[in-house]
Amino acid sequence: MNALELADVSVRINQAQILHGVSFTAPKNQVTALLGRNGVGKSSTLKAIMSLYSPTGSIKLNGTELIGTPTHAIAASGVAYVPEDREIFATLSVKENLSLASRSKISSEKMSRVFEIFPDLSTRQEQRAGTLSGGQQQMLSLSRALLNDNQILLVDEPTKGLAPKLVTEVADALAEVAKRETMILVEQNLALVKRIAQKIVVMDQGKIIFEGAPEKLSDSVWVQSVLGVSNRGKHS
Amino acid sequence: MTLRWKYSRYFLIVIVAALFAAPILGTNPLSKPGLQQTLAVAFVFGALALTYDLLFGFTGLLSFGHALFFASGLYLTCIFINHSVFVWWIAIIASILLTSLLAFLVGAASLRTTGITFAMVTLAFGEAGHVIVNRNFFGLTGGENGIALNAELIPQIWVGVVNTKYLYWSALICLILTYLIIWWVTESSAGRVFAALRDNEMRVQVLGLNTRNFKLLSFVIAGALAGLLGSIMLLLAGSAAPRFAESNITIALLLMVILGGAVTRWGAVVGGIAYSFLTTRMQDLTQNGLFAGLPKYVSGPLSEPAFLLGIVFILVVMFAPGGLSGAYYKLRLRSISKKYSSSK
Amino acid sequence: MSTFLLMTITGIGLGALYFLVASGLTLIYGLMGVLNFAHGAFLSIGAFVGLWFATSIMKEATIPNFILAMIVGGLAAGFFALLMEQLLITRLYDRHIDQVLVTVGVALVVGAVLGGWFGNDLRLFPTPLWFLTGINFFGAIIPADRIIYIATAVALLIGNWALLRFTRIGLIIRAGVENRNMVNALGINVRRAFSTVFFLGGFAAGIGGVLVSVYSSGVSPLIAGTYLIYGFVVVVIGGMGSVTGSFVAAMLIGVIKQFANYYVTGLGDFVIALLLAGVLLVRPQGLFGKRIS
Repeated sequence: MNALELADVSVRINQAQILHGVSFTAPKNQVTALLGRNGVGKSSTLKAIMSLYSPTGSIKLNGTELIGTPTHAIAASGVAYVPEDREIFATLSVKENLSLASRSKISSEKMSRVFEIFPDLSTRQEQRAGTLSGGQQQMLSLSRALLNDNQILLVDEPTKGLAPKLVTEVADALAEVAKRETMILVEQNLALVKRIAQKIVVMDQGKIIFEGAPEKLSDSVWVQSVLGVSNRGKHS
Repeated sequence: MTLRWKYSRYFLIVIVAALFAAPILGTNPLSKPGLQQTLAVAFVFGALALTYDLLFGFTGLLSFGHALFFASGLYLTCIFINHSVFVWWIAIIASILLTSLLAFLVGAASLRTTGITFAMVTLAFGEAGHVIVNRNFFGLTGGENGIALNAELIPQIWVGVVNTKYLYWSALICLILTYLIIWWVTESSAGRVFAALRDNEMRVQVLGLNTRNFKLLSFVIAGALAGLLGSIMLLLAGSAAPRFAESNITIALLLMVILGGAVTRWGAVVGGIAYSFLTTRMQDLTQNGLFAGLPKYVSGPLSEPAFLLGIVFILVVMFAPGGLSGAYYKLRLRSISKKYSSSK
Repeated sequence: MSTFLLMTITGIGLGALYFLVASGLTLIYGLMGVLNFAHGAFLSIGAFVGLWFATSIMKEATIPNFILAMIVGGLAAGFFALLMEQLLITRLYDRHIDQVLVTVGVALVVGAVLGGWFGNDLRLFPTPLWFLTGINFFGAIIPADRIIYIATAVALLIGNWALLRFTRIGLIIRAGVENRNMVNALGINVRRAFSTVFFLGGFAAGIGGVLVSVYSSGVSPLIAGTYLIYGFVVVVIGGMGSVTGSFVAAMLIGVIKQFANYYVTGLGDFVIALLLAGVLLVRPQGLFGKRIS
């Protein structure tokens, strides 16, 4: 049973073709990792799903067509988006950031759900989000997604630029979340991918070049040729 | 097969020739000084609209302070001539040079911002200029009434109602000159950069070009030409008045360019000539009681040119953003593609 | 000393008027990216409706009546702003230049209609007598109307702050000014906030219109233009999207203008233009604005 189905999705921005007929599926209650070198279109794919770009083709979420729907309606229907640059609201407090993101009225019960996973945030509720450290901002960004009941989570490079200890914290949180949610995870950190993903989709130059089992990641030669990185030495 | 009608160049030459010949060709409407004066002013505004088009239509700079440079040329020339600082033709050249300098300074400051902020800032500078001429700073600018040009200090060929046709011809020549200069600028390699800037500034930056310098160049050229046109306006109006420095003038230019079509050169010129001509006509007709029979609450707004203008403007922006020339080219495209599909 | 005090307080009074215009402008621009040229029209509408209300409905110019007229003018302008937003601005979503142009068109039409119906001559606004008295403040005699402007501006500032701080729509507006797309990505339809911001901006401008009429000794469609321009200057110097910035900048500009005009008549406008140029050269995003990337 597929939560998300992309069929022949293309995105064109200012005369540049970003995505060329992307097609793949993301199974329900599983983590599908979207991999590839920098600039191949992974983030753009997530943005296309959110209608932050205007794609052609078909994107179906549990059977409902998303193309043509405005971004806020897509999000409100249960798509949680955790963008690459976190994009928390710096002038708002931690509590306000969460309050804004909550689809139903924010309650202490919802907040404690979040603080369980990220205890660091509970002591900083009134703090302006712009003064948080990078890692804390990432936690806040993720927390926004965890407040609601979602049909799917779109997470874009959550461990980027984080110190190893924080990477582990975020990875643990994601692993916990992955147990009960459907997720599409864009990541460069292959150890994390191997830990939580049940399926991988590899992109290159705006196209899908591989869709299959994560076991492929153990093949170092293949990984080197397709992703240009070694699969050793990354923390999870 | 291009969108341009293949006879358009010939058509243009015929029209221009006719416009030149008309004042001395028997009795046609253009042999009367009244219409000659109206059209001369319209030509100046057509040329001014074209300079604004260079800024806005071609380089994508929405400036609300363009009137500043028009007024600068107007006032500087008048002051230089009246106070016998320079002989008339040197006065004109000097005012153009000074206006260019002004454009450089204002542009350098304003172009630190982009887009909407730039618009606001140029508006403020334009208004500062208006205030300066209105308040009679240094006793030179004559305050609310402006300064009358000392008619004895300019060639007499331009003085007197009977000589209106010489003013008419001078204005027409200025229009053609402005058009040629702007045509040359926009077709040059600098011009290509301007157009690229309008469409996608980041791409131009990536090419390693200093976008701000190109924008400044466009700004200065447009300002300098506006200054020249200010000098011509001085001859036509016989005086320098603060109303030429108002933001209303710049807004009128914006209207002309939008109505005529921002991306084409001839669109701006046609828009400018038509706008100027129609508003003058409207004012004459209203004063002669065109709307006298209607109830006050209808005739009141109608007699203000801004009313119909504003409504037409709103409609054009909402439904026909390409203006007159845009609509023309759309129709051309449709007729060409019809020709192609029917010939298959 | 008392002259200094007088200049400062009257300058702040003038700044209060500028703030009433700028507060709406800065939010509309900050949230929606729209340069609202019709803001001056809101001013005029507020002034004329307030005038109609004060002269036809309320016969006596008492302070409560005046405040009522002010509020009525504000509401009229607010609803007009809302109407304009719904009919015109929403159809041009993301076509920012075209949105600006449309507001120019509206400004023209409103100016022409008001000028056509009422003429451009000044019409006296019924003013409570108390406004014309002088209040003794540490030796300086302050015209009482200035106190009203300052009080209104402060009330607006507080009201604005409370709205932004304590309501959900305020939260959405604050977040939207920072990052509109992300607010949408969280499932919130930011466009609903637009209408609120337009209404509030119109309301503030309408109230400003009534007060400006008192300050300028009359109601006329021609007055709005200058205040619109000053509104823009305040917004640029204060920083787009920042109401606090507008308040500080407005006060600064009011006081500077007052002092400059005291020494040389007419110097004020010129000095403000220089100030604008200076701020742009040193800090283009304004005092409280976001860094322009």
